[in-house]
Amino acid sequence: MALIAIIDDDIDILDASSLVLKSKGHDIITATNTTDGYKIVKERKPNLIILDVMMEEPDDGFYLAQKFRRDGIKIPILMYTSVSKAIGMDFDKSEIVPVDDFVEKPISPEELVEKVENLLHLKEVK
Amino acid sequence: MQNLKSHILIVEDEKGLRLGTQRLLEEEGYAVSVAENGSEGIKLGTSNEFDIAVIDLRMPDIDGLEVLKEIKKVHSNTVCFIATAFASYETAIQATRIGAYGYIPKPFTPEEFIYQIEQGIKQRELILSAERLKKEREENLFELASEKSRLNAIIKSINEGVLVLNKNGDLAYYNYAALKYLNIQEINIGENVIDKLPAKIVEVVKTIFSNDIFLLKTYTVQIEVKPNNELILEAACTPVPHPDGSLAGVVITLGNITEFKKIEVIKSQFVSMVAHEMKTPLAAVQGFLNIIIDDTINVEKEKRKDYLKRSIVRLKSLTDLVNDLLDISRMELKTKHREIENIKVKEILNNVLQTLELEIKKKNIAIQKNVEEKLPVIQADQNDITRIISNLLSNAIKYNKENGSIWIELSSTQNYLILRISDTGIGIKPEERSKLFSEFYRIKNDRTRGISGTGLGLSIVKRIVESYHGKIEVDSQFEVGTTFTINLPINLN
Repeated sequence: MALIAIIDDDIDILDASSLVLKSKGHDIITATNTTDGYKIVKERKPNLIILDVMMEEPDDGFYLAQKFRRDGIKIPILMYTSVSKAIGMDFDKSEIVPVDDFVEKPISPEELVEKVENLLHLKEVK
Repeated sequence: MQNLKSHILIVEDEKGLRLGTQRLLEEEGYAVSVAENGSEGIKLGTSNEFDIAVIDLRMPDIDGLEVLKEIKKVHSNTVCFIATAFASYETAIQATRIGAYGYIPKPFTPEEFIYQIEQGIKQRELILSAERLKKEREENLFELASEKSRLNAIIKSINEGVLVLNKNGDLAYYNYAALKYLNIQEINIGENVIDKLPAKIVEVVKTIFSNDIFLLKTYTVQIEVKPNNELILEAACTPVPHPDGSLAGVVITLGNITEFKKIEVIKSQFVSMVAHEMKTPLAAVQGFLNIIIDDTINVEKEKRKDYLKRSIVRLKSLTDLVNDLLDISRMELKTKHREIENIKVKEILNNVLQTLELEIKKKNIAIQKNVEEKLPVIQADQNDITRIISNLLSNAIKYNKENGSIWIELSSTQNYLILRISDTGIGIKPEERSKLFSEFYRIKNDRTRGISGTGLGLSIVKRIVESYHGKIEVDSQFEVGTTFTINLPINLN
């Protein structure tokens, strides 16, 4: 089982996602802003980061992902947001943002678990 | 036989004959004027237009032919007869040459005379109707000519570009707007302009020309003439038929749609913001419900209830958002039906305070009111004023601290009512003030986390205030408090 960091300013979504992943036996650490998010990742070195896009400006999820990569943190990042692809957020994962996967909210528990396990497995293979 | 009384002039120096013919004609229903000599004849005959003039050839002062000449000079349509006892072939020809219609030899019988007059009347009618026709035709021609130049002037000056090509692509007509839009410096009628037109238009024009079957259909294309959406045109190409139905050419109109395109972009940005704002609470609710329904996830009973409660809160915020959006869209379409009446703002303030009582108590906030005595009534829609006060007050409560205070002040100047609401809340940083009234802008920091809102409240307040030609100001000190001041005109006009 893995240690997963969830960084999202929406406490409700944070709680729901945590519970889903906890039920699969993962350990969860959370942060509700990018400053705290950076800190817990640095300190606890999770196996995976789940990152929201729209948070405090200008330190949003994109910014934080770039900061992680710049600082040599290579932990896989699953970026998730309710910003729709249909409105021009159709970026091809790592090309614009250095993340490993990208999902649109809302996400079903099965989908979340599947995405998380894919990314964790990916890392183990590496 | 005559519709209007025909007017006849008799120029005759012989009294008996003059009075005799006068009586005879009047009995026949004609209006008659008489002149007893040539000079009087000229005077009468030139100052009035008679239908018929009967002029004696021989008069002591002036010759009848001279009288005839003078009358004809002024009124060429008066039908003139020369009456004479000295009838000769030569004088008859002479008289006709000068413009006499007929020649009445003396002596004549009443029947002969009346017959001649009737012929003259017929002639007069012919002349007049021919005259009328000629005049009408001239007027039509004039109208046509001026219509043509008017149309030309209109097309030359309209904002739409117009180009007409014949079926070889030769230019048949253009206006200056077309040259301006297409950035063409020089162009000549008759010149083949296919190479000068944007490729997209050429493509459409060629399609129209190559159609075997003539279709009276307009093809439109959008062309980005200047990059970065600086100038976008819509070209409408419509085939022009010959009278026989075959293809004569094509008319191209060019409209500037740059502004529409810009609005389209703003609209789609707004829609995406709305989509985001709606999906967020939905995602939260869906997250909770998924957990509750999933048997593999163990949720304690207390937790479950908490999740359901939180879901209700999120759905409530979603409902608020939808209502705010509807308000904004109504304001934008100006379809919001305003019921302007005399409003007592103090009463509305008290009503709003009552609806917010629970929230005020929850945070134990002290409300202090300072309302000017004899505050004037203002002309406004009650719902608008309620919305302004309730949005500002609920912000003052939401972003206030526990045991904080709110000061409400209502005062007036000569033309304005002033509403001032101050709180002891979290305050707004100077750099955030400019964005405060934009849609969906919500200050996000540790202090605002957990405070629900649509991000539309202040934007709506501003729109309402401005729709009344009022103004809204904000003054704030970070972590100390915020004051909103609103000036609303007392009289709408």
